[in-house]
Amino acid sequence: MTFHPFGDSALLINFEQKIDEVINARVIALAEAIEAAPILEATFITPAYCSLAVGYDPLKIGFEDFSKKIKSLTPTDPSHFATKKDRVLEIPVYYSEPHCLDMSEVMQQTGLLAPEIIEWHTSVEYRVYMMGFLPGFVYLGSLPKQIYCSRKTTPRLKVPAQSVGLAGQQTGIYPSEAPGGWQIIGRTPQKIFDSGKQNPFYFMTGDIVKFYAV
Amino acid sequence: MTKTTTFHFKKIGLLTQVQDMGRIGYQAFGVPVGGAMDKASAQTANWIVGNPPNNPVLEITLLGPQIEIKGNGQIAITGADLSPQIDGKSMPMFETVQVSSTSVLSFGKIKNGCRAYLAIRGDWIVKKWLGSCSASSNNSAGLTPDSNFQKGSILTVKTKLPIPKRTLPAEVCPVHSDLCKVRMVEGPEFEKFSARMVGFFFSRSYKVTPDSNRMGYRLNAEVVDFKPDREIISSATIPGTIQITNAGQPIILMADAQTTGGYLRLANVISADMDKLAQVKPGDEIWFSLVSLEEAGLAFSP
Repeated sequence: MTFHPFGDSALLINFEQKIDEVINARVIALAEAIEAAPILEATFITPAYCSLAVGYDPLKIGFEDFSKKIKSLTPTDPSHFATKKDRVLEIPVYYSEPHCLDMSEVMQQTGLLAPEIIEWHTSVEYRVYMMGFLPGFVYLGSLPKQIYCSRKTTPRLKVPAQSVGLAGQQTGIYPSEAPGGWQIIGRTPQKIFDSGKQNPFYFMTGDIVKFYAV
Repeated sequence: MTKTTTFHFKKIGLLTQVQDMGRIGYQAFGVPVGGAMDKASAQTANWIVGNPPNNPVLEITLLGPQIEIKGNGQIAITGADLSPQIDGKSMPMFETVQVSSTSVLSFGKIKNGCRAYLAIRGDWIVKKWLGSCSASSNNSAGLTPDSNFQKGSILTVKTKLPIPKRTLPAEVCPVHSDLCKVRMVEGPEFEKFSARMVGFFFSRSYKVTPDSNRMGYRLNAEVVDFKPDREIISSATIPGTIQITNAGQPIILMADAQTTGGYLRLANVISADMDKLAQVKPGDEIWFSLVSLEEAGLAFSP
């Protein structure tokens, strides 16, 4: 772990720079430790794949002292790094017309037929590595190598809410209608973002997700 | 019986939104902080009408709206001078102004700055999302239906007893020049830029391009010799982050910035200079300088 100033009111903690579930579990364990600890100066936390940004109030504390407080929390017990296997969320997906907007492009890129793409996409458990881009957008990884595919050259202006897409070695779900460049292969009926609820977010970072075709 | 004053939008202007201090603490779920771009101006406007600092305000960008007021109330305008007028007569800024029924508030020529802030004394009837009235940048999701306006929209405010007039002393009124000096501290990937690139970046001035908005300012120059071998693995971004795209274009992330990104982060604007950056309009000139964290801390002192 390395600590870096990130502006004058946040710090960035970099873990080994790799997309890896054990490293991501460490990021989340530290994020949870910071949330659980009474660090009054902390203002926000943004966990990502292998880094964690933590905001502080610069009128109350400086970078060095804030870093020290966080270092003193660093979880040392390896059991804290376990993934949250208790949160396995099974998500139904319509991989059919009219929801699979980019299936033919994915077929071209991968050289596979639609049923094979669906088979690969539903064959593994994914980890919610982080949320970002839009409120509630989940970055899930990693895809089986067979269905890696690049983003669309020109992003679509409107991707429907709950569309399931592919980008590089990641898969993701759109929480609301938005412009976007991911290759859309289906859509889930499961609302993953509901602004009317007390907690609008269906997923948490660290959740395990398994897709099945309906 | 509670009295209300209503504000009827006859013309909406370029971009008029409800903003407060934003929603802090939901970045882990991908929710941008948002909030007023020039926070000091928003809080000052609220102070002038006796509201708490986090009360909503109207953030008015460049071309102001035309609003018909029904009911009595106290208002104040701070920030950019967009030639505010009441019933066609010049309205003073930085002081409490009493308005009465059928007054029409309008705006004229842009004299200085980019964003004006209109505070209205009382409790605004505006739907909050995650504790904030700030207009969501994710517009299509309909999260903050009362915070963006269309022709014919009505904003309702529960009025409170008037306060004695407050005037901001002239010596603390901000001055918005068309030349803006902004200080930065080194960003997380600063070391990945060559000395030549850093030298180039800080030795010239920039203009913000017309496609700049509340999410980010695109600057009108490319960094020389910039050939990143790859993007970083997506990591946090915050308002004030200067990221350099793969094509070498610098972008300063502003209030509605995404919470994560994959471009290299060269530097971060210091907190004390974010408000003045919010008042830069397309065509204005910006100069950057690099300061230490200690100097950034000292900049908080008035």
